Amino acid sequence: MAALQMSREWIGIQQFPPATQSKLLEILGKYKEEDVSSLTVLVMGKGGVGKSSTVNSVIGEKAAAVSTFQSEGLRPTFVSRSRSGFTLNIIDTPGLIEGGYVNDQAINLIKKFLLNTTIDVLLYVDRLDVYRVDDLDRQVISAITDAFGKEIWKKSALVLSHAQFSPPDGLNYDLFVTRRSDALLKVIRTGAQLKKHDMQGSSIPVILVENSGRCHKNESDEKILPDGTSWIPNLVKTITEISFNGNKAIHVDKKLVDGPNPNERGKRLIPLILAFQYLLIMKPLVRSIKSDVSRESKPAWELRDSGLASRRS
Amino acid sequence: MGDGTEEVVVRSHVEETKKLVEDEQVVKNKLVGSDEVKNDNEDEVFEEAFGSENDEQEEDSKRESLFEPDDDLRLEETLQSSKDEHDNFEEAIGDLDETSSAEGGVKDLKVDNSVVGESHREAEFDSMTSKINGDKVEAGADNCFGQIESSLDVVENTEKVNSNGSNLAAEDVNMKVDNSVVGESHREAEFDSVTSKMNGDKVEAGAENSYGQIESSLDVVENTEKVNSNGSNLADEDVNMQNGNTHSVLENGIVSPKNKEHSEKAEVISESVGPVEPWDDGIEVENWEERVDGIQTEQEVEVDEGTNTNHVEKDSVCIDNESEAKINGETGVDSTSSIVKSASSDNSLNDNIVVASAGSSSPLEKSSSEEQAETEGDSNGLKPEHDLASSPNSNMESTEVCSNSGSPEVTCREHETVQNANGGHDVQQSPQPNKELEKQESSSVNIDPEIAENSHVGRESEVVNSVSPTESRSNPAALPPARPAGLGRAAPLLEPAPRVPQQSRVTQQPRVNGNVSHNQPQQAEESTTAENDEHDETREKLQLIRVKFLRLAHRLGQTPHNVVVAQVLYRLGLAEQLRGRNGSRVGAFSFDRASAMAEQLEAAGQDPLDFSCTIMVLGKSGVGKSATINSIFDEVKFCTDAFQMGTKRVQDVEGFVQGIKVRVIDTPGLLPSWSDQAKNEKILNSVKAFIKKNPPDIVLYLDRLDMQSRDSGDMHLLRTISDVFGPSIWFNAIVGLTHAAAVPPDGPNGTASSYDMFVTQRSHVIQQAIREAAGDMRLMNPVSLVENHSACRTNRAGQRVLPNGQVWKPHLLLLSFASKILADANALLMLQANIPGRPVPARSKAPPLPYLLTSLLQSRPQPKLPEQQYDDEDDEDGFDESSDSDEESEYDQLPPFKRLTKDQMAKLSKSQKKQYLDEMEYREKLFMKKQIKEERKRRKMFKKFAAEIKDLPDGHSENVEESGGPASVPVPMPDLSLPASFDSDNPTHRYRYLDSSNQWLVRPVLETHGWDHDIGYEGVNAERLFVVNDKIPVSFSGQVTKDKKDANMQLEMASSVKHGEGKSTSLGFDMQTVGKELAYTLRNETRFNNFRKNKAAAGLSVTLLGDSVSAGLKVEDKLIASKWFRMVMSGGAMTSRGDVAYGGSLEAQLRDKDYPLGRFLTTLGLSVMDWHGDLAIGGNIQSQVPIGRSSNLIARANLNNRGAGQVSFRVNSSEQLQLAMVAVLPLFKKLLSYYSPQTQYGQ
Repeated sequence: MAALQMSREWIGIQQFPPATQSKLLEILGKYKEEDVSSLTVLVMGKGGVGKSSTVNSVIGEKAAAVSTFQSEGLRPTFVSRSRSGFTLNIIDTPGLIEGGYVNDQAINLIKKFLLNTTIDVLLYVDRLDVYRVDDLDRQVISAITDAFGKEIWKKSALVLSHAQFSPPDGLNYDLFVTRRSDALLKVIRTGAQLKKHDMQGSSIPVILVENSGRCHKNESDEKILPDGTSWIPNLVKTITEISFNGNKAIHVDKKLVDGPNPNERGKRLIPLILAFQYLLIMKPLVRSIKSDVSRESKPAWELRDSGLASRRS
Repeated sequence: MGDGTEEVVVRSHVEETKKLVEDEQVVKNKLVGSDEVKNDNEDEVFEEAFGSENDEQEEDSKRESLFEPDDDLRLEETLQSSKDEHDNFEEAIGDLDETSSAEGGVKDLKVDNSVVGESHREAEFDSMTSKINGDKVEAGADNCFGQIESSLDVVENTEKVNSNGSNLAAEDVNMKVDNSVVGESHREAEFDSVTSKMNGDKVEAGAENSYGQIESSLDVVENTEKVNSNGSNLADEDVNMQNGNTHSVLENGIVSPKNKEHSEKAEVISESVGPVEPWDDGIEVENWEERVDGIQTEQEVEVDEGTNTNHVEKDSVCIDNESEAKINGETGVDSTSSIVKSASSDNSLNDNIVVASAGSSSPLEKSSSEEQAETEGDSNGLKPEHDLASSPNSNMESTEVCSNSGSPEVTCREHETVQNANGGHDVQQSPQPNKELEKQESSSVNIDPEIAENSHVGRESEVVNSVSPTESRSNPAALPPARPAGLGRAAPLLEPAPRVPQQSRVTQQPRVNGNVSHNQPQQAEESTTAENDEHDETREKLQLIRVKFLRLAHRLGQTPHNVVVAQVLYRLGLAEQLRGRNGSRVGAFSFDRASAMAEQLEAAGQDPLDFSCTIMVLGKSGVGKSATINSIFDEVKFCTDAFQMGTKRVQDVEGFVQGIKVRVIDTPGLLPSWSDQAKNEKILNSVKAFIKKNPPDIVLYLDRLDMQSRDSGDMHLLRTISDVFGPSIWFNAIVGLTHAAAVPPDGPNGTASSYDMFVTQRSHVIQQAIREAAGDMRLMNPVSLVENHSACRTNRAGQRVLPNGQVWKPHLLLLSFASKILADANALLMLQANIPGRPVPARSKAPPLPYLLTSLLQSRPQPKLPEQQYDDEDDEDGFDESSDSDEESEYDQLPPFKRLTKDQMAKLSKSQKKQYLDEMEYREKLFMKKQIKEERKRRKMFKKFAAEIKDLPDGHSENVEESGGPASVPVPMPDLSLPASFDSDNPTHRYRYLDSSNQWLVRPVLETHGWDHDIGYEGVNAERLFVVNDKIPVSFSGQVTKDKKDANMQLEMASSVKHGEGKSTSLGFDMQTVGKELAYTLRNETRFNNFRKNKAAAGLSVTLLGDSVSAGLKVEDKLIASKWFRMVMSGGAMTSRGDVAYGGSLEAQLRDKDYPLGRFLTTLGLSVMDWHGDLAIGGNIQSQVPIGRSSNLIARANLNNRGAGQVSFRVNSSEQLQLAMVAVLPLFKKLLSYYSPQTQYGQ
């Protein structure tokens, strides 16, 4: 898939303020050291949380269509940008929630779209400024898990958009972020059915993102979060860390797309079941029938009839 | 007043501002939908203006901090982005920019006037006079943006420019009037009138009304401009623009008329852009007065007292118009008068000019009116004083002027959105330069808020459909009659009062340079006349409601000019008017009185307000329901937690907000996921149980503003709510958008979208969803914004202010109260409506009484025991048993008779034939008689037999029943005539059924007139006769038919009991489909058979059809006068819901002496039915006469009292058909020749 798409020169990187640019280039240099020529990032999440905006922010140009009130349609968007030999692929996906349901159609589309692609990093996007997690979140997580396997969570990061806001009730910002991300991570853990020890090695990192044009900027004109960090380099850096975190990247192959073939399931049990049936069911049945026959006691009229018949014949 | 001084001042101005302002056209677009380009222009203009101001400021040490350039720039930015934390108040944007430059003097006037018309009108006018360069004077008036419901906006901009010297003062008046009228069905009209330029002699006034949606409104814009130049050249221009009588019928029509005026040649070009036709009607441009004299040209704005903007005193900003007026030495009682004054003062000051224009604009009016209201208690009573800006000081110079000009808008803003009560507040603010700055800023920002409000208004109006007119004539003088186009609602209200006074004022004012204001006396007169209107009780009550509402509004800090308030008042007025039997206008006075009363009561502080409102809060989890409640009460009533479901159960809390008792029900959060709807239902059911006793007045549905649910994700939730509470829950629902301080997301091009756009879109989404969920497309729930965040900006009073300048809490409460008030009013009016006693049950639902009555009157046989099956008929047939024996033998005694064959017949002579036939007929008759006798005898035997059996001991009864029981029930065999040859398409061949010995008789129902290839069997019929206790027969018969379209069911059960001698009572139950519904009828009938010749029966019946119950009573009498004459009379009545139908019928029968044999039979039927006073009488007569041996003539006629009738003749003949034809044809022809009755004949 990736090969089909012409990757364009990453011009957008020049849009960033110099400070950001240098940080980004430094990070990209790391890839060069590792001799990795491409990186594929999959962005998923509910609708309207800012997936496309995040993609646009990272790329530095308006690569994915964003509209406030309309969903962008069902098709994933493949954005590929290369710079000095390194290719960054970002796959923006449509929102997974449609009308209160998880949109299975969208997930299937995404899976087909990703056929033969290797996902290095999954960004799960949600909003920071939402207070509650509900069942929908869990459903989305499990839908992703079902689609790509739970291994994918080991290559994932939780992205919280709309990070520039002031928490309610006088809560401390950091505290709020912690609690919000904890709540979401918990949902991810349960939704992905990750065991505790699965998470031991690598916890899912949390990245804060503010895509709005109103995002504060520091003196070097970088977009920063309320805590002062410049979030774009941070995001890329975290992505990089995930890609190098030692876990295997998720390769979407035919098998994953199609899911397990129901015809294959339990095939080996067939002879066993046959044997079981023969030994435990057939045998006793036959045996009991035979014993019945031998122990048969005929009613009087039947005896008479048979007697008559025999006599007549 | 002196001209000289004024001029001087002007010049100074000019010099100062010269640099900045050269040729500027200031265009203000405050339209939501307006073009971006225009906005840009505006921005630029603003910037420039600001810049100039700044410069001026710098020059003037006096104004210290008025404008900071940065701030200004930001302001502009904020305009677009609609908010930054920056703006303190982004409430109203009124901009007056005056820059007077160069020799002539350049003036930019921006006046934003928000006028609230009688019924809510808000108009903001920016009048900008741009420049006077030498000869050139440009005056621009922008009336940017207004919301009018059905109202008149009068904007008068009077500008005077006095230039000394030979130079002509030409004025360019740029008028932009944007009046957005929001009607009940949202109309918004925005007019931009731009008058561009006059160079030298040339004056161009361009008025563009760029955009408007008006329902029914009149906008009158009068710009009177006078230029007084001393010297040979005088350019006086008065441009009066009246956009009058604009009626836009279309609800959502967008009309953008453009009016360009050349002052000299007044050209009015009205372009109506937009789907609609709206109003072209009315733009009139009048050139008022042209006065060459350089002396004070008095600009009189009729309506608006041009609140003497020209006051040298700096304080004037703060000062009310009245005060200003006084200062001028004029009693400023009337706004108009004040204008005059101001004009004079203006002349001296260039600034004044500006001021004047500002004054002309409605805000000034308001201020003045407020003052009036205070003093007089006039309807005008805009209590809050906007005027701050109105009076510019000569000292202040242009910058000051600007600020001032800006202020009026600001004031307006506050008025509308914020607490009007704070009028004083505003005043205070204004004096301080900084504050003024803020105001200006705010003014610039304000555009958005207004828009928001507009949208509000529209919604509200829709919401409150039932409401009534408020006749508040807030802009008393100014309002030209607003003529409601389609609905005609406002017309009567407005017409009489305002117009006349206005004109009078207009005429008067000019002369009044001075001082005396006629207005008051006039108004007084009006009020008196209005008072003459009858008061009835309803009106009093309504008045009380109105007062109550005004008090509520007052407590919430809203003036009557608040959109919501005005709307409610309007609706109340409308209701009153509709109710008023005289149908005449309900005087504006009632509003005045109400507002005065309310004020008094509030001022007194006694007389507790008898009002409480219960609000139920619903919404998703985590949107801030509990937090909102806390905000409403300003204290923590419920604890909230950002991360957990804070509210676990339904709870309510009572408290007082501004002394108003409010009860709020908090509910647990609902869950959006489809899979959680069961939980939601549970929650909602608990809520339902909770509110059972004490239902809420208002439902507040909360959602987050900043969650863009682009899909219909909440549909399940909303549907669930609808399911549990019923769709009617949405009728009184208000949508609350929490987190309203959130910044709108970036637009498609990366720039921030406007806050108001965002709010509007978001609310549309929710409203649409609610509409769908409720299944009612007409719903338009009002939207209120909510922000609970502790970091939310607050105004000086500590109230939370939204980015658009709205103070949300009063607004939310006001909306709620308004709904409640209107509901109260409705209840009151409904109550009243019922008293007059017109029975107004929904007629559509009324049961078909005539139908029911007819079926009641029908006499039906009482079920009988099987063995008695044939008894009564005998009696009724009236055969004398005695005669039996004779006749029986008669036939047998006859000699044997042999029928002749056809051949033999042919051989007979005529006389022989006749004899033969006579003989045969006689024998046939006898034979038939004999058969009947035998039949009767057999039955009698049967009966006797049965009776004997019954007497037998039980042991035998078994046998008996085996043979006798079932057999005694005659089972009519289905008479199916099979076609001779087999036809597979014939249903009788295709479907057979068995005649079983089952006592249930079940038969298919064949519909022979069905479609081709139809099966024909459409139903099933079942019958059975039971015998309960051996005594009580119960018959049951039911039939169900169903075809492609509809299903019918008919079921009858009847039983009867004999008690006493000749008395029997039957009880029956019927079920049948009537229309689409099932009718259940229970009937009871008692017969008295005491006399042989007279049988009476009386019956009762009760029918339940749909949800209506009707009861009927009938009496029947059967008279058997003789063997050959009998008569049945019956009469009855049926009543339901106070509706009664009477009916009667008479049936008489005259028949042959030996009935079954003789063929002569005549029946006469009459029926009368009276329902709703229409009497229906129908009669029919049928006669059967034997003609000759083998023919029968049957004639039938019927006629009803509507003149419809039918006559038919039928001839039966067993003889040759031709003969019959011969007999009938002439008759037929004859009949045809007279008239053409329906004639039927056959053989």
